[in-house]
Amino acid sequence: MSVADDTPHRPRGARTSSWRVGLTAMAIVSGWLIPGLGHIVLGRVRRGIFFATLVLGSFALGMAHDGRLALRDDRQAPILSALQVVANAGVGVADLLARARVYGVATYSLPRDPAEREYGTRLTILRDRTKSIASIYGTAYLWAAGLMNLLLLFDLWDIGRGRND
Amino acid sequence: MGSHFLHLLLFSAIVAAFFGALLRRRAAEQWRLGALIWLAMVGGTLALAYLMYPFPH
Repeated sequence: MSVADDTPHRPRGARTSSWRVGLTAMAIVSGWLIPGLGHIVLGRVRRGIFFATLVLGSFALGMAHDGRLALRDDRQAPILSALQVVANAGVGVADLLARARVYGVATYSLPRDPAEREYGTRLTILRDRTKSIASIYGTAYLWAAGLMNLLLLFDLWDIGRGRND
Repeated sequence: MGSHFLHLLLFSAIVAAFFGALLRRRAAEQWRLGALIWLAMVGGTLALAYLMYPFPH
């Protein structure tokens, strides 16, 4: 687990603040899209690889155990279902690809009109996945992966601001 | 993997490793915090399970 002493060697000379803000913003966006990449962008390569392994490993375990890829439902518990989607979407691109594979389309919500054919199709897929006994564990792994990656964005912010060296 | 207990051990290990590495900088401190979180999660769950054991479903 040792990811200590991962502070990169800085080139001589002061970096301009706008350059640093831009780099931090790029690290946060890339860290959200691909877990661990933000740390690598900021020069924390070992730390980035370690966190990528944890987050993507947890995500893979969640998918392997039929975890719930939540869909926002305007008709039932819109706020709670939206929070579930946020937890899922924290993993970034991996979540998008998983949705495309599971639902056939990269979607984050159910259609507003229950009469739509897609509404029944997506709901059936969602319910079928959560039928297995292991699904509840899969959901825990998926949400943990997303929430861990969202927490890592704050770590990137701190590193970018020079508060975590 | 169908064992609830193994899931408890594995999930706790992932969370403990994550927070150990996130919240501490020195390797020894990371290991110490990770072990503490892992023990708290596993021990707390087992203690809760033991307390709930007498109650019916």
